[in-house]
Amino acid sequence: MPDIDPTDHEIADLGPKIKDVEDVQELEEMLALEKGGEDRVPVKTLIEDRIEKLSGEEETVDPSEVDLADQTVADIANLVREVDDGDVLRDMLEREKDGKDRKSAKEQIESRIDSVEGSDEDESEDLEYVPPEEKHPDLDHPTADKQWVHAIEDGVYEDMWVYCETQQGDLINVSKEMLGKARGLMDEYNEEYDADEQVIAVLIGDSVEELAEVCIAYGADVVVYLEDDRLSRFRHKSYTEIFCDMARGAGHPYGRADRPEEDWRDYDEPRYTVFPATNNGRDLSALVQGELDSGLASDCSDLFIESAMISNPAKTGRPGEKKEFDRILHMKRPDFSGFEYSTILCIDKPFREFHPQGASVIPGSFDLPDPDPEREGEIVEHEMPLDDEWFRVEVTDFDQLDSGVDLSGNDVVVALGRGIGDDPTEGIELGLDLVDQFEDADLGLSRGVITASYQFAGHVEQYVGMDRQIGESGQVVEPDVYIAAGISGAVQHKVGMDESDTIIAINTDPEADIVDFSDYFIEGDLFDVLPELTESLEKGELDVKALADGGNTTDD
Amino acid sequence: MTDDYEHYEAVVVGAGPGGAAAAATLANNGVETLVLERGVEAGSKNVSGGLIYAEQSAPYTIDGLFPNFREEATERPADEYYLHNVAGNKVKTVDMTDLHHTDTEWCDSVLRRRMDGWLEDRVHEMTRETGGGLLTEVRVNGLLREGGEIVGVTCDELDPIKADVIVAADGVNSELARDAGLMDWDEPDEWFQGVKAIVDMPEGAIEERFDIREDEGEAHLFSGDLFEGVRGGGLLYTNEDTLSIGTVFHLDSLVAEQAEPHELLDALLTHPLLAQWLGDDYEEIEYGAKLVPDSKKVAHPSPHEGRLMLVGDAAGQMQAQGPIIKGMNHAVTAGALAAEAFAQAQARGDESTAGELYEQKLRTEGVMDKLRPPQYELASVVGENERVTELGERVVNSPLGRAGLKVAEKTGVLERGFNSPFVMSIMPDTKLPYVTIPTALGEALGDRVTDENTIQPPDLADRIGDLTYDVGDPHIELVDNSFAASGDAVSACPVSATDFGGGCYRDEKVKTNGSEEHLVSLDTQPCVECGTCAIVADTDWDHPAGGKGVEFKQG
Repeated sequence: MPDIDPTDHEIADLGPKIKDVEDVQELEEMLALEKGGEDRVPVKTLIEDRIEKLSGEEETVDPSEVDLADQTVADIANLVREVDDGDVLRDMLEREKDGKDRKSAKEQIESRIDSVEGSDEDESEDLEYVPPEEKHPDLDHPTADKQWVHAIEDGVYEDMWVYCETQQGDLINVSKEMLGKARGLMDEYNEEYDADEQVIAVLIGDSVEELAEVCIAYGADVVVYLEDDRLSRFRHKSYTEIFCDMARGAGHPYGRADRPEEDWRDYDEPRYTVFPATNNGRDLSALVQGELDSGLASDCSDLFIESAMISNPAKTGRPGEKKEFDRILHMKRPDFSGFEYSTILCIDKPFREFHPQGASVIPGSFDLPDPDPEREGEIVEHEMPLDDEWFRVEVTDFDQLDSGVDLSGNDVVVALGRGIGDDPTEGIELGLDLVDQFEDADLGLSRGVITASYQFAGHVEQYVGMDRQIGESGQVVEPDVYIAAGISGAVQHKVGMDESDTIIAINTDPEADIVDFSDYFIEGDLFDVLPELTESLEKGELDVKALADGGNTTDD
Repeated sequence: MTDDYEHYEAVVVGAGPGGAAAAATLANNGVETLVLERGVEAGSKNVSGGLIYAEQSAPYTIDGLFPNFREEATERPADEYYLHNVAGNKVKTVDMTDLHHTDTEWCDSVLRRRMDGWLEDRVHEMTRETGGGLLTEVRVNGLLREGGEIVGVTCDELDPIKADVIVAADGVNSELARDAGLMDWDEPDEWFQGVKAIVDMPEGAIEERFDIREDEGEAHLFSGDLFEGVRGGGLLYTNEDTLSIGTVFHLDSLVAEQAEPHELLDALLTHPLLAQWLGDDYEEIEYGAKLVPDSKKVAHPSPHEGRLMLVGDAAGQMQAQGPIIKGMNHAVTAGALAAEAFAQAQARGDESTAGELYEQKLRTEGVMDKLRPPQYELASVVGENERVTELGERVVNSPLGRAGLKVAEKTGVLERGFNSPFVMSIMPDTKLPYVTIPTALGEALGDRVTDENTIQPPDLADRIGDLTYDVGDPHIELVDNSFAASGDAVSACPVSATDFGGGCYRDEKVKTNGSEEHLVSLDTQPCVECGTCAIVADTDWDHPAGGKGVEFKQG
């Protein structure tokens, strides 16, 4: 059984998931599931493409055997990049000399030999540390509040810290997604490196203690929280100070002098930090990572931990030398508007550490994990003095942005189309009246209404927007009962609703396409029919639920 | 850091036949060339009537630039060429094969997705050798200028790219040509609009119904009273296992008659004459539309500005005179000549002369004379005069005129006239040659068609529903939504119609404070990106971002 059952997913979700599957066997199983299940052509194509890609990769040429004369210089450049064995490379060099003897090809191979074996210089020679301000006396180094950047000496780094953002007293989804991802990463990490490092959830806010258990259920081992009335809304100065005070251990050279030791930890700074790439998370991540003298990979879409072979002399200290860095957080982020991906690594260099290795994560990049209420963890209240200076900015007023409408969870959806054109405002009113007759119902619209030039009176205007659109470029709904009033049923609309259990269409045109895929069709003007429906429901004369149930047996 | 923009010797915008020919010729000359195409694949944004010519007199042909083109990228040769003059159920068919073969080395029917997709692979290989390549799903949205000079292009998806030469082969709605101020979209009488259906044919049906072999094909044109008096005509070309059936009209005439393009297409599809080819089961695979520049009026005599050169539709290089419709071959020639001009200018050490050189070549190689025949410019002064038209109509429709037609036929003047490149090139853009004469011919000389055509073409909603879209942000903005300013689009847009709520343009009566306004609203979801509304409505018209919008699978 593969990890991903394609029939459980929408096509749009599957794309990124399938990209990460490396096992052809698993893909074949997924393909079989899809064929036995929904059998969607695009899904099959997606999986087949992936299989083809992976199978294609296996046909790569063996550098020790291949006839170099068949390869272009560019091919050779790609080929040698995979080879770490100097002998194989020297053999290739000989073969090239005996063969086409291309200068550029030989250079590619030679430079690869250099980079895998290093130059012959004396390796025991110690690097000498020259502080940047001595090395470049002509530059103006000081920054606003720090003279210059220093590594902490012999720093100890552990754990993965996850900043858990809250909104209106709840963890936002990306916080849970990050906890789930962090859990997985650190479980693998502990196994790989035989370690016992943890996932630390950070909660800062007004009354956040109650969320600590939730963080644990989603994967945290330790929850560090700090509550204060003044923290009810995000403010970057205070949040940054608090996060950094939490992150720096006792005795940290740049930390609070009187910061006490804590039982649960014994390190200077987190090894990794992860923030949400939300408005507040981006703000906080940049400030925190800056204050901790590290770097930040912003807006990442994937994370993994593995070692990295690095030849950059800025990192290795010696040109031509290769050095393996382990436990490196690989932070993948979309570039060129998502055309390409870069993987960002945050690596120490001589005399300068770069910790924590920090990333902000695009919401939705990782699966929302299932919470495990049985999980156990430690909850730590962080105590520190809060400087009034940090609260100089006062939030005097705020507004909640409309987060949009989710129509997908309703029992009943009343959808209106261009049939309301004669009097759009009244049409919306009648639709809303009908919506009110049900416990769990909402109003949907066809694209034709939203893109029309209709003028709506102020009191119904709020109901007319893209966030209520049903169809190919809007929401897909599958309610028990879908009432389509004045909607012709173009295919772009159909794909957004034809999985509904019972479809009731109201239309003046008995030839309208929607009649073909409705369970009930009421021929008439919605301005007459909707009020009648509403009235019958009010009086209890009509039971739409029963109609819906009956709809299964008496088709049409 | 503006100086860090990527630089290529040449950037070619658009991977249709013009762009492909330019890129291939640049690559053949060792010029580092990057090709940018906004579709998911080359051809996914393209529709054409469907015949590509290789002219004997042309300095470049597509199969010369791309070996095996005919074997691998085209459908069938168009060996025979007929014009059907229709009057009601009577049809007078004129064999135009001689005219069709004049100066023609070969002529094949093509479907653009297949053809351009095939070209894309070759172009990518060729340009990659030069250090460039071909990128799809990148929309070039304008010119990059420095100190007023054109130095490169800007894109939706990538950072600006600099180049020593920019070949704009970005089609009839060229954003680069407009940006450079070389073309405008103002006058409906400078454009044609074509709509086309690709019709599936059962195996063996084409051979049987047209009585041809597997390696043969035919082209049929239709004119007369089929189209409610709208100036234009119909076409039918045989593909490997489909038919391309389309109609092409003068845009000003479409607007004047408030005609619905999809209904005019249906009028052709359901005419009894087509029953013999369509059979009883009609399956339409794809509906498409395209705007066509009228080269007689808009072919730019000097299609370059600084480092920018326009080729193909972007430069108005679309020859449509009477029954002769040649576009892709001229785009190929122009693309290759532009590339050749740049390579020569580069070799001479002065790249700034490339544009001038290109213009010269268009003239000396005879391209300009084909696009803007000097005899048309003279004849149109007389031919398009209203009173002359009126007089002509009266003469043709008079008993004497009818008698003359009969005499003409008997003496062979008729066929000779239709097969004369000279006569065809001076045909005026009035109703006379498109509607009046063909109708009169059909009536006077035609045979009655007795077949019954039973097919039912899909309605517009289904045609739109069958197209593939990836809807992005609205790419067209309605600047003036009053019916007076933009109402023409409701009928002229090939995916809109009066009283149809599922199209791009819908007319709406909106009541505000007791008064009623007549407005149009626009939804770009069903847009086929033909550009009609850019001309007939008051819009701010751009293409969708790379990979977005309609995707033609046939074209």
